[in-house]
Amino acid sequence: MILSVPETKIDSIQAEYAHKSPQQILRYALSQFDNIAISFSGAEDVVLIDMAAKITKNVKVFSLDTGRLHPETYQFLNRVREHYNLDLEILFPDAQQVQKLVQEKGLFSFYQDGHKECCGIRKVMPLRRKLVTLDAWITGQRRDQSPDTRAEIPVIQNDVAFSTQERNLVKFNPLANWSSEKVWKYIRYHDVPYNQLHEQGFISIGCQPCTKPVLPNQHEREGRWWWENSGSKECGLHTTSVSSIK
Amino acid sequence: MKVTIVKKITTDGNLCRKSADVWERLQKERLLGYIDRIIFAHETKPNSEGLILAAKHQVERAPFFIVQQDDNSTQVYTSYARFLSEALDRQVAEKEEIAEIMASSADLDFI
Repeated sequence: MILSVPETKIDSIQAEYAHKSPQQILRYALSQFDNIAISFSGAEDVVLIDMAAKITKNVKVFSLDTGRLHPETYQFLNRVREHYNLDLEILFPDAQQVQKLVQEKGLFSFYQDGHKECCGIRKVMPLRRKLVTLDAWITGQRRDQSPDTRAEIPVIQNDVAFSTQERNLVKFNPLANWSSEKVWKYIRYHDVPYNQLHEQGFISIGCQPCTKPVLPNQHEREGRWWWENSGSKECGLHTTSVSSIK
Repeated sequence: MKVTIVKKITTDGNLCRKSADVWERLQKERLLGYIDRIIFAHETKPNSEGLILAAKHQVERAPFFIVQQDDNSTQVYTSYARFLSEALDRQVAEKEEIAEIMASSADLDFI
């Protein structure tokens, strides 16, 4: 059975589900799409797996192994796999691309050139290769994770970054409205396994060389790519200007 | 096929960084001949044609391309790489496509 949601209906479904619970959004996503998977980063987005496992026994989950994760994250991925009896799909970067980068620039080029090139090869390329096989995916993105880049995250959207001319990809962000506090309350209340790095002061967890613990009252994103300046990243056509002339 | 490019003019009167970058690449790759019309979206002028087109096509990022086919169908591209490969049928390196996706989707950093 092939299930889907028409591209044109996404906005109205977003409006309908904007304030519903993560479980309601997940239930909707899993009921509408057969070819759907959760992207699991190895951090607190494990709550999505816990919620989905209570809805269906056939939840598909994938993780991106960049080759540079902390040992604790690898242990955690395996623990989650066993705990939920998951067929956890681990995606790897293209060996030739990684080899070329390391050969040309060494193992820590991101400290000089910025993280984008390395992330592109180790994370986004394998992600894209996976996403072209799916009709929809589910992420643990939350608005409170980054006021700059995630302030407007909807709970459901057409994924313009990874859709192709032939295929529309739908992205669900069931945790968009949840705060870190709510996520951690869920983890404790439901006794969900978590990455041991959280006990060492890590909040946002990525690759080992690009992640560090943060101090009290520092935003979680201050523990990622801290050596880079956040400048103007894109040329937005400000919504206020655009909407005012509608 | 008719191609329109919409470039953004910022409050200081200059092209935004990405509009300038894409235009330079079009020049460098000798593709300016494919552009039939250039429209500007002035950040300070809500009624500028570029902002009206952005609203019409629900685009929130500059530059973007509007491609009108001979059968009158219209495609809008905010991705330069996708414009190259789909509208102009050019080969685009995967690395380049990925760089553009990352530049326009900052939240991907934290996937």
